[in-house]
Amino acid sequence: MPMDEILSVSHVSKSFGELDVLKDMSLSVSRGEVVSVIGPSGSGKSTLLRVVNQLERAESGLISVCGRVLCQNDDKGHAVYADKETLKSIRLSIGLVFQSFHLFPHYSILKNITEAPVLVLKKSREEAEDTARELLKKLGLSDKESAFPYQLSGGQQQRVAIARTLAMNPQMIFFDEPTSALDPELTGEVLKVIRSLADEHMTMVVVTHEMAFAGELSDRIIFMDQGVIIEEGAPEAVFSSDHERTRQFLQHYSK
Amino acid sequence: MKSTRGMTLILAMLLTSSVLVAGCSAMTKTTSAASASDASQTVTDSTKAAAADDSLAKVKTAGTLILGLDSAFPPMGFMNDKNEIVGFDIDLAREVTKRMGIELKLQPIDWDSNVLELNSGNIDCIWNGFSISEERKAEVNFTDAYMQNRQVVIVRGDSGITALADLAGKTLCLQAGSSAADALASHADFKASLKNVVELSDNVTAFMELEGKTSDAILMDEIVAAYYITQNNKDYKILDESLADEQYGVGFRLGDQSLRDEVNNQLKAMAADGTLAKISDTWFGKNVTVIK
Amino acid sequence: MNFNVSLSAMDYSSMVSFLLEGTVKAVELFFLTIVLSLPLGLLVARLRLSKIMVVQIPIKLYLLIMRGTPLILQLMFFMFFPPLVLGIPVDRFTVAVFSFTVNYAAYFAEIYRGGIESIPVGQQEAAYVLGLSPLQTFMRITLPQVVKRIIPTIANESMTLVKDTALASVIGVTELFRNAESMKATYFSVVPIAVAGLFYLIMNSVVAAFYSRVEKKLNYYKG
Repeated sequence: MPMDEILSVSHVSKSFGELDVLKDMSLSVSRGEVVSVIGPSGSGKSTLLRVVNQLERAESGLISVCGRVLCQNDDKGHAVYADKETLKSIRLSIGLVFQSFHLFPHYSILKNITEAPVLVLKKSREEAEDTARELLKKLGLSDKESAFPYQLSGGQQQRVAIARTLAMNPQMIFFDEPTSALDPELTGEVLKVIRSLADEHMTMVVVTHEMAFAGELSDRIIFMDQGVIIEEGAPEAVFSSDHERTRQFLQHYSK
Repeated sequence: MKSTRGMTLILAMLLTSSVLVAGCSAMTKTTSAASASDASQTVTDSTKAAAADDSLAKVKTAGTLILGLDSAFPPMGFMNDKNEIVGFDIDLAREVTKRMGIELKLQPIDWDSNVLELNSGNIDCIWNGFSISEERKAEVNFTDAYMQNRQVVIVRGDSGITALADLAGKTLCLQAGSSAADALASHADFKASLKNVVELSDNVTAFMELEGKTSDAILMDEIVAAYYITQNNKDYKILDESLADEQYGVGFRLGDQSLRDEVNNQLKAMAADGTLAKISDTWFGKNVTVIK
Repeated sequence: MNFNVSLSAMDYSSMVSFLLEGTVKAVELFFLTIVLSLPLGLLVARLRLSKIMVVQIPIKLYLLIMRGTPLILQLMFFMFFPPLVLGIPVDRFTVAVFSFTVNYAAYFAEIYRGGIESIPVGQQEAAYVLGLSPLQTFMRITLPQVVKRIIPTIANESMTLVKDTALASVIGVTELFRNAESMKATYFSVVPIAVAGLFYLIMNSVVAAFYSRVEKKLNYYKG
């Protein structure tokens, strides 16, 4: 594995019953890269993120994150997972932001952000709260620290979700369609945050439908369809691709 | 896979239900009606009992006789206005246990479960205006009858009813599951002559029906009827014709022969020396006891 | 016949004091049952959700029997089965507490389960991804929200329990209803029954008010 490779997915397959969602998928992400994943629904984009984040189990393939092996094949070609401690440390080194934010409704904004650092990283409450307040300030949400999720707009909630992930100091962050559940006028504020993370060289994999954003922000774009990668490359290359399916898909999106 | 799971579930249910059924039948066995096998069981029990019956010894060691009653049955066992359990049966029991040199403990129970309570050992005897009958003898070891009772009909003073025949076409009420119900069942002609028989949960409700003229007559224990009428100064009449004569006894477990005999002997002694008559006098103004 | 033992017409203070004794018993029965059955119900709910068949099937059977048979029969079963069939003596108040606990735990278990399953799984995924353990996720994320959701139903069940304490009379526990019946016979009047009804109403008003307060306190967030 190259020195700066932070994620390696190699010949990974995943099915749900009869349905093959990921078919012998391979991809690699380097440290500091921003990779956007685009494609029609059902193409396996979300599943890919969920498998890497251990919300689903791959049937076969090799996945390694930040130099540690998450799973690899035995001699029968079935994926065998690492032990609990390794799995946990991998989980702590990466973060996932969900389409529906999934904030904890019974916690204040501040507590949403501090809970995991306190419980998992064993930080003191004061330390965690200081970090949380800094993050909120950066995101322009300082006045919301005592509010509850239901009092915030979708865009604000998603920004809090990002802060919650950042508070755990991940080495890379995955975004599963971060703006798809938002009203159009609110997507801007979230994209702005992701943009600023890119400026700070956070490694990110973003599944999105926002083509303009993907084009502007990404080092690389991956186009997936029906569980396989059809194309990948620099944004200009993918957006002006001659590939049949890529063009078909991009037709629906105006730049 | 599916069929295995289903089988396991069915087997588990069968197992549990068979345990429950076994338990229930074990319980009902002790309360089932008289039958040939049960009768021979009783004989075997009492011969066994005579040989190895420590019921009296146990009670003496414990120093207490536990008396089970439904404390809502005046004048035999009920609460007085100081919230103490009193009654004719209670006074008799106190005297008997005093003479035995032990304490008396009063345990309120649900009357419908009286034999269950007896057999499970929660109480040592049932002493609460407990009528002796052939069915009950199969489940319970009675002392000699100590008091006579009749199932009588009570009517309003102004109803003009003086004989059972006058009740044709009228409504009669009684307490469900009581010996009144049994008495009525054995008088088929009389029952058939009535317009309606109403079964109620207890005698107080029956009196309310009579008062409210929803019913024309009540069939109940003469002892209890007389008590209510006197206590509440009601203008009710008890018809001379009674439906059944019955007797009260004290009930013990079938195997507890020695205990039963001891209590029986004490009652006899009390009859002989006049104590029984004295207690009866206090409650009823005359001697209504029948033990000799 | 002449009865020399006289009874004053409705001695209210002694009748009420006897009913109060029964009320105290009913309250004891209520508290012990609630305190024991709420945690037990949670445990049963967790077991019910277990994927291990050896655990799940007996639990489901228990839930079926407890909710499918009358409580009054269960009381009688636990009262008379041990001494008659197993030869084990039992204390009637203990039996009442045990029987009520085991019965209500079954209802609470299903209420908890419904509550747990109504929490969006996304929250548990978010917690997982953040590194929380399953236990931490359940205790801190899932359970607090479940509690808020099920409070109205738990309040209902609690009020039913207050009234169900009357069933203990069939195994001879001297609670409010039985005492009222005794008083009815003593005074040849249904006034004690009416007073008992009033006492049940007062008990349940307290219960209702308590849960109402809890609901208000938990209303600091929505969702």
